Amino acid sequence: MNVQFKKGVLDLCVLALTAWEDRYGYELAVAMSSKFEVAVGSVYPLLNRLTQEGYFSTYLQESPEGPPRKYYKLTPLGHSHLISQIKEWRTFQLAVDELIKEGVER
Amino acid sequence: MNMRVREQYLNQLWQLLSPVPEPLRKEWMYDYEEHFRAAAEQGRSEEAAAAELGDPRIIARELLLGYRVEQAEKSGKVGSVSRAVFATVGMGFVNLVFVLGPYLALLGVVLALWAVVAALAIGAVVAVIEGLNGEAFNRVQGTFIAMTLIGLAMLSGAGMKSMTRGVMQMTIRYLKFNGRIIGGSKR
Repeated sequence: MNVQFKKGVLDLCVLALTAWEDRYGYELAVAMSSKFEVAVGSVYPLLNRLTQEGYFSTYLQESPEGPPRKYYKLTPLGHSHLISQIKEWRTFQLAVDELIKEGVER
Repeated sequence: MNMRVREQYLNQLWQLLSPVPEPLRKEWMYDYEEHFRAAAEQGRSEEAAAAELGDPRIIARELLLGYRVEQAEKSGKVGSVSRAVFATVGMGFVNLVFVLGPYLALLGVVLALWAVVAALAIGAVVAVIEGLNGEAFNRVQGTFIAMTLIGLAMLSGAGMKSMTRGVMQMTIRYLKFNGRIIGGSKR
């Protein structure tokens, strides 16, 4: 997939994954890289950036085995950002579909 | 040998991130240490965990770029903005053409305009000296010319100060926009 296109969508997807439940970094990183061609390692900087921008807050929680895990929680700001991103995506998707129909599937 | 993969990876990343102050570096490292732990819990080997993380140099470059841009945004000084611009060049050839090139050109223009300000200020000094010792004009004329030049230098200097700040802010905004677009894919 085209890199420029992907980068914008990655933010949306990682926010979407945390809409209903808080998740820890590894979960998010693996989920993202199984769907898109991204190295797991570059998901963590992405999480960092979204945290800095105020879309995530993080907290540590004990795990059954070993040291505590860092969880990512969607903030109210993150939530409204997610909603607006989804809207934008839907509009975009609709436009692409329409043009494909018009140009290819006639 | 197998046991060392994790340590080697984390050490290398730690070294690569050495420009960053330790507290922040430790916070970043936590994610990668946790990655190895979580992977082990899923029964994955250290090699597999390292492989899915990808090249530590790429991760370090991405993290450093974000850090540089943030620093530049905080200070707004030419030095830190330039460091942020140079950090993008590490992300690929495209940035050499579309970030560093325009930035250097813009910096050249700013520098040239500052040179004009300096020339006006130096001109004022020369006018005073010429008025005192020279034959071109007398003291009163020299003082008048010097005052005019100083006034112009101060006005244009103030203008240039805000223009420089504006150019730096614009550069940072462009870097942030650009950072969102380029980088971070599996090779």
